[in-house]
Amino acid sequence: MRRLFPAALGAALLLCAGGAWAQEDAPDAPHQDWSFAGVLGTFDPGSLQRGFQVYNEVCSNCHSMNQLHYRDLAGIGFDTAEIAAIAAQKQVQDGPNDQGQMFMRAGKSSDGFVAPFANAQAAAAANGGAAPPDLSVIVKARGKGLEYLWGMGGPDYVYGVLNGFQDKPPAGFNLPQGKYYNEYFSGHAISMPPPLADGTVQFQDGTKSTLPQEAHDVVTFLTWAAEPKMEDRKRTGAKVIIFLLAMTGVLYGAKRKVWKDVH
Amino acid sequence: MADLAHGKPDQRGLSHAAGADSHGVGTRRDFLTIAGNALAVVGAACVAWPLIDSMNPAQDTLAAGAPVDIDISKLQPGQQIVVLWRSRPIFVVNRTPDLLQTLQQPQDLALLSDPNSEVLQQPGYAKNWNRSLQPQYLVLVGICTHLGCIPSFMPQANSVGPGWIGGYFCPCHGSRYDLSGRVYSGVPAPYNLPVPPYRFLNPTTIRIGENPPNEADFSLDSVVQI
Amino acid sequence: MAGTPSTVRTNNKLVRWIDRRLPLFSFAQDAMIDYPEPRNLNYWWNFGSLAGLMLVIMIVTGVFLAMQYTPDSNLAFNSVERVMRDVNYGWLLRYIHMNGASFFFIVVYIHIFRGMYYGSYKEPRELLWMLGVVILLLMMATAFFGYVLPWGQMSFWGATVITNLFSVIPVVGKTVLTWLLGGYAVGGPTLARFFSLHYLLPFVIVGVVGLHLIALRQHGSNNPLGIAVKGPQDELPFHPYYTIKDLFGLGVFLIIYALFVFEMPNVLGDAANYIPANPLQTPPEIVPEWYLLPFYAILRSVPDILFIPSKLAGAICLAGSILILFLLPWLDTSRVRSAYFRPIYKWVFWLIVIDVFALGTVGAHRPEGWYIVIGRIATLYYFFHFLILLPFIGWFERPLPLPESISAAVTRKNGVPVGAAPAEPR
Ligand code: HEM
Ligand code: FES
Repeated sequence: MRRLFPAALGAALLLCAGGAWAQEDAPDAPHQDWSFAGVLGTFDPGSLQRGFQVYNEVCSNCHSMNQLHYRDLAGIGFDTAEIAAIAAQKQVQDGPNDQGQMFMRAGKSSDGFVAPFANAQAAAAANGGAAPPDLSVIVKARGKGLEYLWGMGGPDYVYGVLNGFQDKPPAGFNLPQGKYYNEYFSGHAISMPPPLADGTVQFQDGTKSTLPQEAHDVVTFLTWAAEPKMEDRKRTGAKVIIFLLAMTGVLYGAKRKVWKDVH
Repeated sequence: MADLAHGKPDQRGLSHAAGADSHGVGTRRDFLTIAGNALAVVGAACVAWPLIDSMNPAQDTLAAGAPVDIDISKLQPGQQIVVLWRSRPIFVVNRTPDLLQTLQQPQDLALLSDPNSEVLQQPGYAKNWNRSLQPQYLVLVGICTHLGCIPSFMPQANSVGPGWIGGYFCPCHGSRYDLSGRVYSGVPAPYNLPVPPYRFLNPTTIRIGENPPNEADFSLDSVVQI
Repeated sequence: MAGTPSTVRTNNKLVRWIDRRLPLFSFAQDAMIDYPEPRNLNYWWNFGSLAGLMLVIMIVTGVFLAMQYTPDSNLAFNSVERVMRDVNYGWLLRYIHMNGASFFFIVVYIHIFRGMYYGSYKEPRELLWMLGVVILLLMMATAFFGYVLPWGQMSFWGATVITNLFSVIPVVGKTVLTWLLGGYAVGGPTLARFFSLHYLLPFVIVGVVGLHLIALRQHGSNNPLGIAVKGPQDELPFHPYYTIKDLFGLGVFLIIYALFVFEMPNVLGDAANYIPANPLQTPPEIVPEWYLLPFYAILRSVPDILFIPSKLAGAICLAGSILILFLLPWLDTSRVRSAYFRPIYKWVFWLIVIDVFALGTVGAHRPEGWYIVIGRIATLYYFFHFLILLPFIGWFERPLPLPESISAAVTRKNGVPVGAAPAEPR
């Protein structure tokens, strides 16, 4: 009792202190199966590349990903030549040249992802006053902190929003001009038109491009993008924890031995 | 602390760590203590590596070391341009036939410390009398092999002193190099100026940081001294 | 240590040569090997050395992070993301540092509650305790400054809300606030000075920890029975007994810490801090890191009191809730240290633990409905506990008889280790 009490109390109190930050004005998006979930979960390579295709062909028309560089795509399995080709499709501003002028050139793999708008003001002006957020860490920014362990929070939410558009708002819902009804977006009125539908992209690997498939793939890609070092982290973690368990076991034995004489 | 064995606590409760081990060797406690300590030391060493490695160049820094292309179509005979590659100055000189001539005069070669470029300070394809792919164009890393200053380009005869035939002069401690970056004897700098990996994409564009196709791979990391 | 210097037990000539001139080795021998500790310390005594270790971990990872971090309002967020992506093992350094702050506080809070349960603050350890409270204050300041550095939404708005507390100072409040911020609002100048202070304060903490340890050595550790050590039979040398026990405890602690760092590194943080700071948009909810929640709850729970507006009263109570700990050695009037022998205090102690958790829960929620009521009751109880309950219990409580000595209490009697359940009322 004397020993259990503090522990039980602590656990109970932690439970009641948790779960505090839920958004109450929209339901939680339903939980999906993610390849990256779990203690040793890894990103599904096919899904990552398809997801990049969705971002590149659809989302990148409005959303920047300022933290990423084309060279980072090596992390989703593209080789040097493929990356150079992807980058070369983009026009990048460089300069000043010898005449002091800025100029445009083809992208290189060391360049950052080219943003669709020059600045936040331009982005807002082109989108009815609401600037599309940068997507580099969107999954973590909308998360509950557990997305890379259980895939909860951010990935489910982004997936929910991409699938959660409804043509007609429920009766009695007053949808402002230029907004779209979304089941999982906080407040339900979102400025983004439904970006994906069946067949929006043609997957190069022949996967059928249904809306759920596209959404699933792009969310996998965005989750990778938010933390490209996740697989490293889990792999290192497994080793560290096994090591610590062994070390602690030995130390426990040593402690028992040393203290045996005392009482 | 090297003594890992411990006796029983005596009446005072203090063990005499040194010399009081009455159990002899090979007790289980010894094994556990040694194993525990060994694991802790291994753990500490593993912890040190991420800290050390974090100070190595980061991915963006490495990516910024990608090759750079230089347009030499406007480089006049006898002129030098300087570009940055991997945060280092790269000299590119358009050498006139006159200047090239100075590189082969026996009385000048005798003054050089390494006239045949024996020390690994250049790729194999630049280990020749003119230290370049095409004699007309000299490409060097412009960092003095003494202590890292940038040598000045002094192509005019006698511009550094009587008998000067044109070359590089380092303002910091007076090291001298000829117009292929070969160092003179008797100056503080020990080695020739390094030649980076480079190739001609076409007759007027040089790419720094990439070897010519069909040539052995050369990395600037392998030179003796930058 | 003054008086007869001890000699280091080794035959190594070099060590002895150095030690005669610079007695580092004999100091280590005195402090970490021969140092006598009460023989009955339980695992709650592990948290002191764990706190020291956390301080070292924070400083080491912090120094390496600072090599990559840019304290400029336009670059800070990106520089932290660069650490996560491009710097070798940068993600590891950052997650160790980020979760380290939480684990540092977990360890220190347990350490403090340990002191409260066993009466470690009582005569002659008052200054030892007060130095500990100073460390807590410095840690809070350090963590607050650190949390601003990644320059996310929560960094920015947390800094705004907390610095605005200074505007409650009568007359000069606004001037002081502008001076603190280096501008009219939190911005680039604020970030730069917070970085400077965030780098500085941990080293101040090291200094105060040194004083804390000097004070500790003066009278030695308290122990679960709270009675004084009467002689060598009550003691054990630090090495090997407590070195091995501390190491084992460290292993257990590191396993839990590693689970967070490697498996759920963002659970303890706030998602909004992955949104770059935006001075034009406040996030829907501003919550500090969990370790400051109880104090945040006190801040928000206080209504207008007579002529004192709620904002000022809240700030006063917030400050008071920590400063009151300085007075604890005198507020507790009982002559008996350990709660083992205090039948009433033993339960009252758990009430204040529950109260602090309740405050933490309130701090995590919007001040609406029941949370307001609970917040006010819990705040009131917090002060009631320290200012009224503790002095009165000390006067009225009849403590159980204390054992003669530590060794008498812990030595096996009839094969039953008495120390395992000392002086339980029978
Ligand atoms: C008492 C010790 C310390 C505590 C409690 C502490 C706490 C914190 C916290 C809470 C953060 C924010 C983490 C995040 O959300 O990203 C942080 C960031 C930071 N700290 Fe510390 N810190 C300590 C010591 C140090 C020291 C000694 C240094 C430097 C020498 C340092 C350098 C940094 C840097 C550069 C950051 C920004 C990078 C980041 O956000 O990860 N810290 N610190
Ligand atoms: S650095 Fe050039 S001569 Fe010393």
